[in-house]
Amino acid sequence: MKKQYALALTLIAAVSGIGAMALSLWNLLPSWAYAGVLVIGFPLFVLGLGLYWMAREGEADIPFLGY
Amino acid sequence: MIAELLFATFFGLLLLGIHRKVIARIQRRPGPPVWQEILHMLKFSFKTTWVPATASTTLFVGVVLVAIGIWTAALFVVLSGGSLLVIFAIYMLHKIVEHGFGLSSGSPYGKFGGVRSVISAASEIPLMVSVAAIAIFTKSLMISDIVAYQQSYGPLLFTVPLAAVAMYVVLLSKMPFGPFSIVESKELVSGYKTEHFGVWRAGLEICNGLKTYVLLLTFILVFAGGLPLWTILLLMLLITMSLSFVCALSPMLSPYDSVTIQTLIAGLMVLYVAILGVVS
Amino acid sequence: MNEIGGAPLFFLEFGDIVIYFTPFTITLFLLALVFTVFVLVSRPERQIDIAFGGDAYYAKEISLSELRFRRFMSIACGLACMGAMVTGDVFDFTLFVSLVGICNVGIVAAVKSRHVQNAAYQYGLVALAGTVPLFAAAAMVAATTGTLSMLELAKDTIQVPLAARALLVLGVMGEGMAPFYAAKAEMFRAPGAPYVIMCSLSSLLIFLRVAEVILLL
Repeated sequence: MKKQYALALTLIAAVSGIGAMALSLWNLLPSWAYAGVLVIGFPLFVLGLGLYWMAREGEADIPFLGY
Repeated sequence: MIAELLFATFFGLLLLGIHRKVIARIQRRPGPPVWQEILHMLKFSFKTTWVPATASTTLFVGVVLVAIGIWTAALFVVLSGGSLLVIFAIYMLHKIVEHGFGLSSGSPYGKFGGVRSVISAASEIPLMVSVAAIAIFTKSLMISDIVAYQQSYGPLLFTVPLAAVAMYVVLLSKMPFGPFSIVESKELVSGYKTEHFGVWRAGLEICNGLKTYVLLLTFILVFAGGLPLWTILLLMLLITMSLSFVCALSPMLSPYDSVTIQTLIAGLMVLYVAILGVVS
Repeated sequence: MNEIGGAPLFFLEFGDIVIYFTPFTITLFLLALVFTVFVLVSRPERQIDIAFGGDAYYAKEISLSELRFRRFMSIACGLACMGAMVTGDVFDFTLFVSLVGICNVGIVAAVKSRHVQNAAYQYGLVALAGTVPLFAAAAMVAATTGTLSMLELAKDTIQVPLAARALLVLGVMGEGMAPFYAAKAEMFRAPGAPYVIMCSLSSLLIFLRVAEVILLL
C-alpha cells in the first residue's frame, strides 16, 4: 500500500471519528451510531497510521520455517 | 468515547507490562520496564511490513481489523451497561480471530497455534457457566442490571464465589505466559502470531491491551459492582498481579494436559450451576 | 428474562415467522457477514510444507475446481449461519443449523487427500446423527406448546419442557463439532484459509445462538 493511501485512510478514519464525537456532543448523532463509527474507524486508524509510519515495504517473503 | 478507548488501550498494555515485570521479579530476573508493552506496540508500528507471499491476503489483513474492532465494540458494550451475553460472544469470537491469524499466513507454526486455539475450546465453557449462575440470581444479563442488583444485595463475589473462580480461570487462560497459553508457546515460535509482524503485530498488541482491560473491567463490574474509577483501576492492578503470581509459579502445560484440565474445570462448573439451579 | 441479548431493535415479519435483531444477534450477524465477505474476496493461502530428508520446502496449491467448490460451500455456510443468527423461529433455526452442518462437510470433504476424507466422513456421521435430536427438539416444542415462534415461547405463560431444550443443545453440539474435524484434517495436510475459518466461525456462532435460545425459551 502506498504511503499516501495509508495517510488518507488514517485521516478519513480520524476525521470521521472526531466528527462523530462532535455530532454526538451536540446531540445530533445517537450514541450507538457514534460507537459504530468508532468500532469501524479505530482499527482502520490504527492500521493506516502504522502503514504510514512503517519503515518500508519489503519484498514479500515466504513464512519463517526454522532457525 | 474516544478518550475512554485510548485510555483502555494504553492502560491494558500497561497492565500487561506490569504482568511481565511481576513475573520477572518472582523469578528473580530484573525484567523489562512496566511500559515495555506500550513501547512494543509503538516499535512494531515503525517496522518494515509486508504480507507473506503465501498468505491469503484479505484474511491476513482483515483479521487484524476484526480483532481490534470486536474488542472496541466489547468496551462500548461494557461501558454502556449492555448484555453480558454480547461480551461472552465477543470473547468466544476471539477464538476465531486467533484461528484466522494462524491460518491465513501459510506458515506451519501459525497453523499449529490456530489449531491449538480451536482444540482448547473447552476454556470458554466456564464463562458460559458463570453467566448462567449470575442469571439465576439477577434474572437479567444486562450489566447495568447486574450492577444495580449488587447495590441492593451486596457483591456477587460472595453470593456465587465459584462463578467468580470460573471467570478467574477464563482470565487466566487468556493471560500470556500462563499455564494454558498453549497457542503461543515457544515451541511454535510465537504460535498463531508468528507471521503477523510489523504493523499487523502492532494492531494485535492494541487488541491485546483492549482485551485485557475489557475482561478485567467486566470481572470487576460483574462480581464487585459499580465502584469509583480509581478503585476499579486499583482492583484491576491487584487482579493482574495475582494472575502474574499464578503464571510465574506454574509451568506451561502440554496441549493435552491443558485441554484435559480445562475440560475438567468446565465439567465441575457445569455441575455447580446445575446444583445451584436446583437449589434456588 | 426477555432481554437476554439486549432489547430487540427491530422486527421483520414474514407472516408468522418473525426475524428480529437484538444487539446480541446483530453482533453475530455482522461477524458472519464480515467473514463471508472475506471468503468471497480472499485468495486461498498456499501452505508451506517441508519435504522430509533435506532442506527443501514447497507450497501446497489449491486447484481452481477445488477452490470454486470450497468457496461456494463456504459462502453457503456463511448465508446459513446468518439465517440461523437472526431467525425468530425454532424450526427455521434447526433447519439453518443442519444446513451449516451439510456445508461444513462440503468444505472439509472437497480436499482430495485420504486423511482429510476420513475426517470429513467421521464428521459427516456426527452431523447426520446430530440432526435427529435437533429436529426432535423442534417437534417437541411444537407438540407441547403449539407454537414455534421464539417471541411467543419467551413469554412466561408457556413452559418448554427441559428435554426439548436438552435435545436442542445436543443437536447443535453434533453439528458444531466441525472445528475439531476440520483441525484434524487441516493440520499440515491441506491448505485451509479462508474456507476452514467458516467451519469454526459457523460452529461457534450456532453455539452462541443456541445459548441465547435456551435461555429465552
